Amino acid sequence: MAFREINSKMVQATVAPGQRLFSQRGAMLAYQGEVSFTPNLRGGQGGVMSMIGRRVANEDTPLMTVEGSGTVLFGHGGHHVQVVGLAGDTLYVEADRLLAFEGTLEQGTVFLGSQGGVMGMVRGQVSGQGLFTTTLRGHGSVAVMAHGGVFEIPITPQRPVRVDPQAYVAHHGDVRNKLSTAMGWRDMVGRGSGEAFQLELSGSGTVYVQASEEKL
Amino acid sequence: MFRLQDSKVLAVDMTGDAVKAKNGSMVAYDGEMAFKKLSGGGEGIRGMVTRRITGEQMTVMEVKGHGTCWFADRASEISLVGLQGDTLYVESSNFLAADAGLRTGTSFTGTRGASQGNGLFTTTVEGHGQVAIMSDGPAVVLRVGAQYPLTVDPGAYVAHQGNLRQSFQSGVTFRTLFGEGGGEAFQIRFEGDGLVYVQPSERNTIAGEV
Repeated sequence: MAFREINSKMVQATVAPGQRLFSQRGAMLAYQGEVSFTPNLRGGQGGVMSMIGRRVANEDTPLMTVEGSGTVLFGHGGHHVQVVGLAGDTLYVEADRLLAFEGTLEQGTVFLGSQGGVMGMVRGQVSGQGLFTTTLRGHGSVAVMAHGGVFEIPITPQRPVRVDPQAYVAHHGDVRNKLSTAMGWRDMVGRGSGEAFQLELSGSGTVYVQASEEKL
Repeated sequence: MFRLQDSKVLAVDMTGDAVKAKNGSMVAYDGEMAFKKLSGGGEGIRGMVTRRITGEQMTVMEVKGHGTCWFADRASEISLVGLQGDTLYVESSNFLAADAGLRTGTSFTGTRGASQGNGLFTTTVEGHGQVAIMSDGPAVVLRVGAQYPLTVDPGAYVAHQGNLRQSFQSGVTFRTLFGEGGGEAFQIRFEGDGLVYVQPSERNTIAGEV
């Protein structure tokens, strides 16, 4: 794994020739060795079309390419960092929560409306995540940021999990998500429990949840 | 059944029973859960009135169902307190969750509350069961014995339990009046036998200014 957690808020990445990393621009704290940081105008992998796609989808967090040989420390804004390892599966994460990821991973953008139709679009609006989300697929590891610590909840077909949209960080595996509402007359008259919208995740995989209801 | 998932997340395993929790503090759950807001801190009409008057407003919800429910609030550190018929005094802003069987109420704190900037009243929780309280940074539990009274900064005080008498101390001298105070002009002194929860952070209080 290219990333090693130094403490709960910092990761150390090892770069070797021929192994590229992408990281959020400005997230480098320190480095050793011969390492170069180039701003990535296209905001990640792919050609100009991918760039336009990300711009349109508002998933175009400024990224930089990290190359060379040495070690680099990453951290951002005092947020907690969680390293997620991927072995051929897909991680769904918001672009602004991405701290760094290995170049071996294939980056993409998905339309949430294609997962759960209209409710998928509503979900993006409710959770303040927009209508699109970033996907990373392949073999490698990703460093994801969250406010407060992150904990994992396994999802199994018999055991769907419902998450507060504001506390949702990322998920991976073969998971379907839909927004469920538990709205009743109480919410209409201003007596709601503050849990009117929930993100329902079913299938098999893992969901990452943060210990806070604050967006980054 | 309360357990800590990690220092900032409370996991509650439920089998048809209920818990009271701060409104909106659920981050995830599995199984079947129902959320219902309780008025007046779950104390009915009387609670609505007294909490409105005392300024100890607390919006809580009742969570009932089967499965596991996870609670967290703004990445605050969480401490679990077990009650065996005794009373826990906690600021309403530090209350996260409690067994539904516990009784909650308000009590008068006198001048201590005023120095904390939290009003003259505090929330009480009594009965048999578990309570989860929140603090800014991990809270330390300090024991107060008959021979060992404890003095606490009002801004760092979180909660206390046991048979404690509290008094308000002022270290105001002529220096404070000239703006040369040490920032520790007011303190709360606990005497008796019990436990005090203190956080490694200070709320903004009048006492901290002088």
